[in-house]
Amino acid sequence: MAAPVRASLMITCLGDVFFPEVGVAMVRLLRGLGVEVDFPESQTCCGLPLFNSGYHHDAALVAARTVDLFQHAEHVVVPSGSCAWMVKTEYPGLLKNDPARHAAALSLARRTRELSQFLVGVLGVTRLDTRFEGRVTYHDSCHLLRGLGESAAPRALLRAVPGVELVELPGADECCGFGGSFAVRLPEVSSAILDKKLANVEATGARCLVACDAGCLMQMGGGLSRRGSSVKAVHLAQVLAGEVPR
Amino acid sequence: MSEGLLRTPLPERAGAALRDTFLQQALTIATTKFIDLRREAFAGLPQGEALRDRARAIKEATLQHLDAHLERLADNVERLGGTVHWAATAEEAREIVLRLARDRGVRMAVKSKSMATEEVDLNEALEHAGITPVETDLGEYIIQLAHERPSHIIAPAIHKTKGQVAELFSRELGGRFEADPEVLTAVARKALREKFLQADMGITGANFAVAETGTVVLVTNEGNGRMVTSLPRIHVALMGIEKVIPSMSDLVVFLAILARSATGQKLSSYTTLVRGPRRPGELEGPEELHLILLDNGRSRQIASTLREALYCLRCGACLNVCPVYRQIGGHAYGYTYPGPIGILLTAMLKGNESVRELAHASSLCGACKDVCPVRIDIPRMLVELREHLDREKIAPWAERMLFRAFRRLLLSPAAFRASARAGRWLQRPFVRAGRLRGLPLLLGRWTRTRDLPPVAARTFRERWKELR
Amino acid sequence: MAARAEFLERIRREVARTKGLFDAATAPRPPRPAEAAEAIRRELAERWPQALERFRREFERVSGVFHRVPDRAAVPDAIAAIARERGARRLVTWDPAILGFDAGPRLAAEGCAVVAARAGREDEASRLRHRADAAAAQLGVTGADFVLAETGTLILLSGAGRPRSTSLLPDAHVAVFGRDRLLETLEQVGVMLEDLHVDPDAAMSGAMINFITGPSRTADIELTLTRGVHGPKEVHAVFVETP
Repeated sequence: MAAPVRASLMITCLGDVFFPEVGVAMVRLLRGLGVEVDFPESQTCCGLPLFNSGYHHDAALVAARTVDLFQHAEHVVVPSGSCAWMVKTEYPGLLKNDPARHAAALSLARRTRELSQFLVGVLGVTRLDTRFEGRVTYHDSCHLLRGLGESAAPRALLRAVPGVELVELPGADECCGFGGSFAVRLPEVSSAILDKKLANVEATGARCLVACDAGCLMQMGGGLSRRGSSVKAVHLAQVLAGEVPR
Repeated sequence: MSEGLLRTPLPERAGAALRDTFLQQALTIATTKFIDLRREAFAGLPQGEALRDRARAIKEATLQHLDAHLERLADNVERLGGTVHWAATAEEAREIVLRLARDRGVRMAVKSKSMATEEVDLNEALEHAGITPVETDLGEYIIQLAHERPSHIIAPAIHKTKGQVAELFSRELGGRFEADPEVLTAVARKALREKFLQADMGITGANFAVAETGTVVLVTNEGNGRMVTSLPRIHVALMGIEKVIPSMSDLVVFLAILARSATGQKLSSYTTLVRGPRRPGELEGPEELHLILLDNGRSRQIASTLREALYCLRCGACLNVCPVYRQIGGHAYGYTYPGPIGILLTAMLKGNESVRELAHASSLCGACKDVCPVRIDIPRMLVELREHLDREKIAPWAERMLFRAFRRLLLSPAAFRASARAGRWLQRPFVRAGRLRGLPLLLGRWTRTRDLPPVAARTFRERWKELR
Repeated sequence: MAARAEFLERIRREVARTKGLFDAATAPRPPRPAEAAEAIRRELAERWPQALERFRREFERVSGVFHRVPDRAAVPDAIAAIARERGARRLVTWDPAILGFDAGPRLAAEGCAVVAARAGREDEASRLRHRADAAAAQLGVTGADFVLAETGTLILLSGAGRPRSTSLLPDAHVAVFGRDRLLETLEQVGVMLEDLHVDPDAAMSGAMINFITGPSRTADIELTLTRGVHGPKEVHAVFVETP
């Protein structure tokens, strides 16, 4: 009998505060797949907002703390492409002047995966017995797609749910306009980019718009609800766990 | 760029562009077409990815011995009877051209498209000196007549309707011309043919210069590049120092991917290799060739974080895929070079202060890096630029304090939890049907067009107790 | 030359401050270009039918008009047909000694005036006269020094008896070539260019090399493609079967 897979959750700042239901869905999903889940409670954020706006010294401090916090985790699973990207690609560079933490950052980078990459790459999930009926469409978050090179795993997982009808979103690989602080630095441009995205979304006739990044979901969900759309913006974890709100 | 325009903050310039319906349509159509053409062109080139790697390597390797390559280039150009000039600054470049024009009695100069000449504001200087510069690239000709600046690196008049062009030609050239691109092109052909034949000087940029042979290379589609380098008696080429490449073997690597990246063509209609002024056996060609090597802030980047930006081939592929460029077009950027690479080039040429707003005109989506023929990591350099803005205190004090405060919050789980609780309380007046609307201040910029989810009644951490 | 020394010194200093971003190499160059060029010629001597077919496809893809004639003697007829179709009455051509045929007599029979460049006549008067002739011509006839199949491209060297404007000023351009000009890839073109530049003054009498891929074109007005902006509106390639 193989030892159970143990995963520590990096829930992300947005996930913790705005989308706890995503974390809950993720926990139930992972436990349903036999994973032992733990949650280092004093985590806050990976520091990406600081990094992207150029506050690298500050981001390095947050990175150091995060690296320490997760040093004993076997696997670190993140429901966010951008946060996983931050840990995997940027942490080592940020901590390069601190040899011990630099080594720890490299180790953390290896152990950290975005959720869909964990499910497919580590657990080898190919089928899920989730109860979900309906047409969904998938948006490729920029950091997951281009930063981590992942576009297949989320789609494969959606197709692994028997009731899902996955319709390809035209311009799926185009930015939703979030970009972190960009959304409030150039709000009109951000909204114009969003409008284009949502026009494509609504044209698919999907009931749900699925993404793997809280930032994208805030942006797209915020736009959909402002237009009174019946399309729900949900996280992949929610579909896979069968916990999509009605 | 017009200083007046730059005094308008970027969000306002962007807003004006967003409200320009024709521009919006034109941008969507043009950029989508270029994206499709590029995709098709690379789909048909199995060695495309390898060529991009090689092109990037050639650019990097050349930079590592840039001075030696430039020296070799200069020696070869001079051996061919050309003259090489060294312009450390935009002003020096202008001075050199003006001096040449004055000494040689030049009254009219025909120009083939050159971003470098835009960068140094050459046309204005020539006009002030009583010399007439005539842009001959159709798009550049149009905007010259309209007294505007280009809005795209390779399709400068993308923002003009055919009706506007017809009106413009009718007014400036005398006549009544139909709003039909064929008709208008024929009008331009006729008008400019005269200029080519009469001009005293031809001015070009250079896409590449081959050090080993002293060859200046022009990549064009219209034929004006060939005209201005064969008909007038003097040819002046203004070239950024980063355009030098070592050999002909290097050249064909770039030729294989440049046009594909820019317009989806396998090769542009004309690739012109100019090896000095006309040779004794030739009936045609300029008597004099002048190559002006332009630094203007480039050398300073060799050892900086913006080094990679020196690889740029000026193909425009990054503009076409940039979600920001696609919405606001080139003029809103405010400088000679727009789009993702434009932000880096502006910082390079005008200093970090000039990109205090522009450095944030990006969602960091990375589409630009995906399509750059030489794989320039533009998003990484934008983030580095932002880091400079913080370090050099160019970013506003209030913003820097806000992010410092945010960092302190992130380093203290207790403070983080307390802020969530505070948020839950403060948001109450703004909750409508489970969403946040009408938020004040900074967050108001979000809620003007989008809802926000409220701070959850219980955060994930608070729910973990039952989940564990 | 203070400006040059200072300019280069500034660059040298900056270059010395950094190792660069990564280990990188420039493109490998043929150590013996003449041999490499010869090897390519031998290869194409075998593969010319495939190369020709590919050239025709690519050339037509960029709106080129392809013709095929059995031998040099048949070329003037082909040109006359093209001139007739276009209503061209004035032609300019490269030196017939370079072309391997003289279209003059055949076209005179059609009532067309043909001005042929002659190597060796490069005085000022000839220069001015030629410019006027080229500007007035409706059709220009040249050879092609290389013909690239991969992209449908004609590569022309300028020089004595082969003026630049012949393929540029008239509304239509006709390039005549045989199997020995065919190349398949850009990479091969690179080798040929290396070979040409080993002793460039011996290999080329002119200062310009033009790669011509279809007619002159622009999409600068509303992205609508139009041809014949400044250069020719039409490009024809005439392949001569018998070498």
